[in-house]
Amino acid sequence: MSLASVLSSLPLVVERDEGLRLRLLSGLELDRRQTGLLIVGIVLLFAMPDLAAILGFSFRTVSKGLMLGMAALGLNLLLRHTQLVSFGHALFFGAGAYAVAVLANYGGVTSSLVLLIGALLFGTTIAVFVGFLVAGHREIYFALLTLAFGQLGFAIVLGSQFFNFDDGLSVRIEGARPTLAVDSLLGAELSTAAYRILLYYLTIVILLALLLFTWRLANSPFGKTLDAIGQNDLRAEFLGVPVQRYIWTVFILSGAYGAIGGGLFALLELHVRPQPTLHVLVSGEILLMTLVGGFSTLLGPIIGGVIVVYILDLARFQTEFHNALAGILLVAVVIFFPRGIMGSSDDIRAGAVQVREDPSVLGVWVRELGARVRGGLRNAVVATKHLLFGAR
Amino acid sequence: MFSTTVLASAFAATATALAGDASTLLAGWAGLPAPGSAGLPAQMSPRGFLVHTLNGLYFGFILFMIAAGLTIIFGVLGILNLTHGELYAFGAYTTVTVMGFLVGLIPPPTDPATQLLFVAVVVLGAILAAAIVLPLGVIIESVFVRQVYDRHEVYQLLLTFGLLFVLIDTIKLFWGTLPRNVGAVYRGVNAIPTTELVGFSYPSYQVFVMFIGLIVFAVLVWFFDRTKTGRIVRATAINREMSTAIGVSTNRVFTLVFGMGAFFAGFAGAMFIGGPAATDLEMGLNPLVLSFVIIVIGGLGSLQGAFVAAILVGVVSRWMTAVYPPAELAAPFLIMIIVLLVKPEGLFGTWGEIE
Repeated sequence: MSLASVLSSLPLVVERDEGLRLRLLSGLELDRRQTGLLIVGIVLLFAMPDLAAILGFSFRTVSKGLMLGMAALGLNLLLRHTQLVSFGHALFFGAGAYAVAVLANYGGVTSSLVLLIGALLFGTTIAVFVGFLVAGHREIYFALLTLAFGQLGFAIVLGSQFFNFDDGLSVRIEGARPTLAVDSLLGAELSTAAYRILLYYLTIVILLALLLFTWRLANSPFGKTLDAIGQNDLRAEFLGVPVQRYIWTVFILSGAYGAIGGGLFALLELHVRPQPTLHVLVSGEILLMTLVGGFSTLLGPIIGGVIVVYILDLARFQTEFHNALAGILLVAVVIFFPRGIMGSSDDIRAGAVQVREDPSVLGVWVRELGARVRGGLRNAVVATKHLLFGAR
Repeated sequence: MFSTTVLASAFAATATALAGDASTLLAGWAGLPAPGSAGLPAQMSPRGFLVHTLNGLYFGFILFMIAAGLTIIFGVLGILNLTHGELYAFGAYTTVTVMGFLVGLIPPPTDPATQLLFVAVVVLGAILAAAIVLPLGVIIESVFVRQVYDRHEVYQLLLTFGLLFVLIDTIKLFWGTLPRNVGAVYRGVNAIPTTELVGFSYPSYQVFVMFIGLIVFAVLVWFFDRTKTGRIVRATAINREMSTAIGVSTNRVFTLVFGMGAFFAGFAGAMFIGGPAATDLEMGLNPLVLSFVIIVIGGLGSLQGAFVAAILVGVVSRWMTAVYPPAELAAPFLIMIIVLLVKPEGLFGTWGEIE
């Protein structure tokens, strides 16, 4: 009996013309290379706590990146399919985080699963209201409105005794952390490291489920209709698609992703403050993650999330001017790699090949860039002269 | 270095002391309220009501000057300029430096002649500070924003968002993290009697800013309505291709408009920092978001709309400080939601053309 026939008898493996495929969902079939990558990816994800200990990078930052990456994944539902830019996604991230904090503080809920369900429900409810108000708008107006709603949430939390203003709420109940599902099996209270590792595993299980769901959604008639709306919403409307209702629905879904991410974030940080969860800069960061990873891809937002959070956290300790570093990174990505890391991998490879064949091409690129900047600066000088001293 | 920081804090302290009750009423607006600041609501006596309304007008006029730049940039370029708040902050910081220098050169305002000179110098200093911010806006447009006009709006948003961070740290590099203030301006202008003449005590500086705000509004309306350049800008806003066809250089118009927007943002920063306030690295964010709210309420790209909405937002949020302080920050957004539900295109909705 050959290895192939053993494999093909497994329930998840199907045989296609070119060979064996791993069948995860109907329609989602991976060939050998993809299966290999998937296995490596999942092993890496699960080995992350040990890898962090061995290689000496911050494991907590990776968790945080994955949580914000979840929000970015939700944002990408809107951005990738309907081409709508939400600049207020921190609202849902913050709603999830605050739902956990409020339930733990005022409701005395200790089970993290119940807390997460609460976060999901609360975030989704907010998304239902906000989505109803913004679904009728397109393009930049959509971005503007979502931004304003995000700041409304920030303003409400900041001005309210219930949410303890700027100081935020603790997620601890009488000093104890919320329980993860396995606590009762272990008997004793978990150590901080064990709590974080278990929470991380919970995060990646949820994340993998969300990724599968997102893939399914993107390849469903619903996802295709959203693509149609993104390409031309007027034409979709004429074809009989209730565009506004579709956008509303996908907005609610994308808010739910953010809420789960936020809920997990609250469980990780154990203290929820408005600045790192609800602020407009967080919305911008979530959008940045989507772009850095590549917003036309499924995995882009997650990878972008980890990279952006890691760079930002690292920069915070390295230099006083970490904001500028983030800004320059963002500007560079926007101008040079508009399709993000996942999207531009072919471009980068092609560029590398070019450089290997003829290194002088680097000089050409630098000169081109210099000419562009010089041209811009020359324009700037001329325009300033005209503005301040008249055109003559 | 040390002496300047000491001076700055001394200025801040004197400004606060001088401003008296007006400054406590204004305290919430510079930054975020301190924890537990939601105290007892102030009594709304007729006089208190008047003071709150005047504070609201002052706030509204400054907001208008910020939102005006944002709305003309949006109306012509179709770009939501997220660096606008930082340009405003830049204006405030430049003003601290410029005014600190200028005010030292002239005699203290004691008699009408020196008072007039003082006001003239303050106006000149504000214009000078704004003129320093202008090239910054022009560079942002011609080096960076120009690259992304024909791209999806997510790139335009993120590019300006990235530049926002760079600008914050540029400010940090030049002026450091400590709050700065030019108390001399506030004291000097307040020494001139205005409201006292009608038997009522209200800081003259606030009256002065309202007056300047009205002039800015008038100048902008005149510019877009009566001057040739203004009409060319409006033509570009209405139809880009058509104006190119009749010989308008849209690139130059875009740069000009961005520079103008930066100028007014810087000017608003100058007006703000002359008042009872201190600079702060985060100071650009709140006005930025509030001016978004304002241009949505007024109708995107509409100058009149921005004016009316700014006054509305300013006055309502000041009233809220008196009636129900926790709602102060949320009030503008609630107005925006109501406007969106009732009249989605805004009060003076043109959505994209300067009116």
